[in-house]
Amino acid sequence: MLAVRNIFKTFFLVELLKGLRLTFRNLFAPKITIQYPEEKTPQSPRFRGLHAQRRYANGEERCIACKLCEAVCPALAITIESDVADDGTRRTTRYDIDLFKCIYCGFCEEACPVDAIVETRIHEYHMEMRGENIMTKDKLLAIGDKYEAMIAADKAADARYR
Amino acid sequence: MSDDLVNIEVNGVAMQARRGQMLIEVTDANEVYVPRFCYHEKLSIAANCRMCLVEVEKAPKPLPACATPVTEGMKVFTKSARAISAQKATMEFLLLNHPLDCPICDQGGECELQDLSLGYGSDISRYSERKRVVKDKNLGALVSTDMTRCIHCTRCVRFGEEIQGMPQLGTVGRGDRMQISTYIERSVDHELSGNIIDLCPVGALNNKPYRFSARAWEMTEHASVAAHDCVGSNLYFHVQNGRVKRVVPRSNEDVNESWLSDRDRFSCYAIEHEDRLLRPRIKVEGEWRDCEWSEALERASTLMQESIKSKGADSLGILASPSSTLEEASLLAKLADGLGTANIDHRLRMLDFRDQAADPQFPSLGRRIAQVETLKAVLVVGSRLRQEAPILAHRLRKAALLGASVSFLCPQRYEYLFPVTAYLDREGGSMTQQLSALVAAAAEVTGKPLPEKVHTAIAGVKFGDLHRSLVASLAEEGESAIFLGLQANRDAAWADLRALAGVLAQMTGASLGTLSEGANSAGASLAGVLPHRVAGGADRSKTGLNTVQMLQEPRSAYLLANLEPWADLVVAGAMEAFKAADSVVALAAYAGSDLLECADVLLPVGTVAETSGTFVNVEGRWQSFAGAARPLGESRPAWKVLRVLGNLLGLEGFDYDSSEQIRDELHGTLGAGEASSSYAGGHFPITAAEDHAVEVAMYAVDGMVRRSLPLQQTGEGRAEQSAARDSAVAG
Amino acid sequence: MSFSDSLPPQLHVVAITLAQILAVTVVLILCVAYLTLAERKVIGYIQNRIGPNRVGPKGLLQPFADVLKLLLKEVVVPANADRFLFIIAPVLSITPALAAWAVMPLFPGFILANINAGLLYVLALTSLGVYGVILAGWASNSKYAFLGAMRSAAQIVAYEIAMGFALVAVVMASGSLNLGEIVQAQAGGAGLLNWFWLPLFPLFIVYFISGLAETNRAPFDVAEGESEIVAGFHVEYSGVSFAVFFLAEYANMILISALTAVFFLGGWLSPFQGWFAADSLLGAPGFFWFALKTAFFLFCFLWFRATFPRYRYDQIMRLGWKVFIPVTIVWIFVLGAMIAFKLPPWFA
Repeated sequence: MLAVRNIFKTFFLVELLKGLRLTFRNLFAPKITIQYPEEKTPQSPRFRGLHAQRRYANGEERCIACKLCEAVCPALAITIESDVADDGTRRTTRYDIDLFKCIYCGFCEEACPVDAIVETRIHEYHMEMRGENIMTKDKLLAIGDKYEAMIAADKAADARYR
Repeated sequence: MSDDLVNIEVNGVAMQARRGQMLIEVTDANEVYVPRFCYHEKLSIAANCRMCLVEVEKAPKPLPACATPVTEGMKVFTKSARAISAQKATMEFLLLNHPLDCPICDQGGECELQDLSLGYGSDISRYSERKRVVKDKNLGALVSTDMTRCIHCTRCVRFGEEIQGMPQLGTVGRGDRMQISTYIERSVDHELSGNIIDLCPVGALNNKPYRFSARAWEMTEHASVAAHDCVGSNLYFHVQNGRVKRVVPRSNEDVNESWLSDRDRFSCYAIEHEDRLLRPRIKVEGEWRDCEWSEALERASTLMQESIKSKGADSLGILASPSSTLEEASLLAKLADGLGTANIDHRLRMLDFRDQAADPQFPSLGRRIAQVETLKAVLVVGSRLRQEAPILAHRLRKAALLGASVSFLCPQRYEYLFPVTAYLDREGGSMTQQLSALVAAAAEVTGKPLPEKVHTAIAGVKFGDLHRSLVASLAEEGESAIFLGLQANRDAAWADLRALAGVLAQMTGASLGTLSEGANSAGASLAGVLPHRVAGGADRSKTGLNTVQMLQEPRSAYLLANLEPWADLVVAGAMEAFKAADSVVALAAYAGSDLLECADVLLPVGTVAETSGTFVNVEGRWQSFAGAARPLGESRPAWKVLRVLGNLLGLEGFDYDSSEQIRDELHGTLGAGEASSSYAGGHFPITAAEDHAVEVAMYAVDGMVRRSLPLQQTGEGRAEQSAARDSAVAG
Repeated sequence: MSFSDSLPPQLHVVAITLAQILAVTVVLILCVAYLTLAERKVIGYIQNRIGPNRVGPKGLLQPFADVLKLLLKEVVVPANADRFLFIIAPVLSITPALAAWAVMPLFPGFILANINAGLLYVLALTSLGVYGVILAGWASNSKYAFLGAMRSAAQIVAYEIAMGFALVAVVMASGSLNLGEIVQAQAGGAGLLNWFWLPLFPLFIVYFISGLAETNRAPFDVAEGESEIVAGFHVEYSGVSFAVFFLAEYANMILISALTAVFFLGGWLSPFQGWFAADSLLGAPGFFWFALKTAFFLFCFLWFRATFPRYRYDQIMRLGWKVFIPVTIVWIFVLGAMIAFKLPPWFA
């Protein structure tokens, strides 16, 4: 009986017609398109956009060159070189993120024991020249300095879920 | 034997153990894991970390596995709730005052505390008081300290007392005020001191030059062999992005156990020294100019061919460092053969070549390195052993601690950190005189007839009870050995010393061994980098000039491989000979001022970390290694340079694709049998001549060591620098 | 005196025909252009999006922007390609798609070339289209293009048979090969019930599905197969030559839709023929009805693309050879019986 029903269903394209009915219904469903850039979707404080490096309030850079972000990065986008700084602390001498390799997974941010590397909400940026995709330590720190208020607010908003 | 064995049960599995063994040795042998910090198989048992607590049936409390001897019928549980809770409690205490600064700690990623805290640590600390902070100690240029991280396992303390024989670190205070400290601001100055870096289970003692520069997980490990003494210690280069970051020992119980001398550990920081020759250079009208490899090689071959064409093949002299690899040595020997010259030598610091025809096939220790430990009586002639071969000195120390009678016959007394039976120093006469006296004493003690050839030498020498007892101990039951050190080897009376030692060995039944320069004197000898032998040990039809002759009867062209005239040659007038020569072609890793002054073509070659090759150590052990790091700049492995040079000179048989081919070919030439390493005895009139020893300091043996900043900053290195300065002023 | 009067009568005919051809072609190409927009809009709507809406009001100028872009792009001819075949392949694929319109009855009394073997002509031309694809695949000298061409050729050959059988039935039912007469044969007082889709229902379905396969459209677009063979036969094409392939594909879609309308839905006949007065708005035959029917099938093309995932290649072959051909053969016999028994209202 089942076999007969199956043959019937196959021969009269029942499943295909069901599919067609579904898509046809959606033809008249409300549309969800957002007219970017005039309209924008709401953003979470956890949004993972352009990277930044933060400083402590006294201006000391947070990064201690532990290289955990480099180790955790699944795209191998982070390159770090470290050495003993003049004051005897462990510091990076080079901290590069290749934005072309980066997949914005946020693992670096998760791995960082001192909240030095963060991903900001900035997502509207572009590069015009070859090499601009490499975010050097200076560039990252500059972004961090500029958007510190936003970064701190986002971190605070997310803090109670961690 | 069966009554020596006891039966125990660990986690329900029956095991057999020797009576008196500690529990942890049995579990380790049976691959049952017990966590530990203070226990180390090469060190005594301290049982002060308490991490190895295990449950033993009928014992009221958990017992430390490292300090609990096995007894018949013992039932042990390493993973029972009680054992685990004891271990977790221990871990909680260990972590109380630990700073948990893993992100900035160089040990992070290879830390025993970190690893074990993953298994036994708690997520949250219950300790909310102020943590202890301990001031860092200055241990010199090699070892960095972060004493707050210390968990007081005292491995470093025990290493100093038991392995070095020179306690440099100790504990001060008790309980939570206990600290590991030095003896009043002394730095750690032992030739094996770097091993406390490996021993420290946490990040308290670390590699200072390596500090903060890389992470354990981002480096690749490349097995290699040490290049600075004749022991051939096994090691790993830790390489990040093609650059050597540090060196750690590779365990080999037959050679270096699990230790590594500071010289072998810290020489790698010379790889990127500013003197490194990064591009081929040629001298045009007195000015150095960087050029392409092709141009430099063309020029090198043209210069050598010109000299041969105008002045004959004999006008070319080839000098190679004894630390050149076997492959380099083999190619140099083939180059000399192809060009028709026999003027080739690697014995750069030797002065006396009279007895070279009687040389064994390679300079040999006469026994396995591991067998040094089992000696009952040893005489060391002309050696500053702790500096010449630290690992060998450590083996000899082990023998001495087991009761061997160790005596030294040296121009000077040096500090040995074990009981020495007798010192025969310059006060009793020159080394030859002292040795002659021993031979004479041997005749008396053993009653054996003296060979004819020593008659003139021992005529009129006086000997006393010291000599008699020393000879008697050598002749006694049990293994005994006579070792000739590098001081003897560099002596102007080397031939006499060796002949006399040979006679003494024969009469007392001791084995005779010699230490050799560099990492590969044995290999260079086997490969035929000698004026009187070809590869394989057969005599040359015509004996060429040795190092001294080549410099005293200047050649018009020289080929130098891996050596620096100012420091690697002891013959006076070397620089003058090179400067006067028409052409000097040098394969060099470093362009020192001496080479810049005297050479005409500089071909940049890789250091030992950047080339593949083979070292044959003083016991005849062939140890091959692959290149670890990327050759710096334009430099290339020396065997490749020599291979192309051979092609450019139009010589046959230089078409190798790999260093392994060269090694295997040479291995075939030598035949399957082990090379003969025994000294046949000299055929020349032995005299008890006045001797003259050449001192080469520990951290000045080769170009790499001389340029390693950390080594030069040690107490030893600083002493050398001031001595060099003094001699420069005096000169 | 007008310009046309000054010409000799033979030239007069030629001029009028040329003008008609031009008119049909231009309208057709415009239709193609807006079909692309329609496709993006329809699929967009089905996917709850609104589709292109930036170029011109509501995105209505989007096709022109696309055309402009494609025209300005470089035509890259691969280094080892057969240059002549490479250039000629897109032309070979567009020509039949346009030429088939010569026999299409657009509205009562209008047909560019009223030939009696119109249906054969259509079959011949639609079969020719495959040469463009095969040549493109061959000339590109690329393994992906070649694979795509091979798939496409096998597929078109397989479905042409089913299609041919379906048309045999149409010919049997109408008794003519002339497309105009086929339309006329479906006229009758029952309106849309008089059309062939009812007695030939299985063949109607088979014909339209074969049409999908013939035009290499979803779910039968294995010739492009971007997930496995990158873009199939036109992987090496760019710029204008790519645009021509695009044009051909959409022109073919319109052609198949129009033919289905003609063969099974009575072409320009009104569905309400006989229900309303013949001269009323709904009862009169005309171009409007033809366009509406064609548009319905075109919508089906897009609808199917948005609904069905791509068939596996062996499934396509199985469907063509093992299902459609037997079905058509059986139905031809059934139809023969219907005709023999003069089944009203169609064969009375």
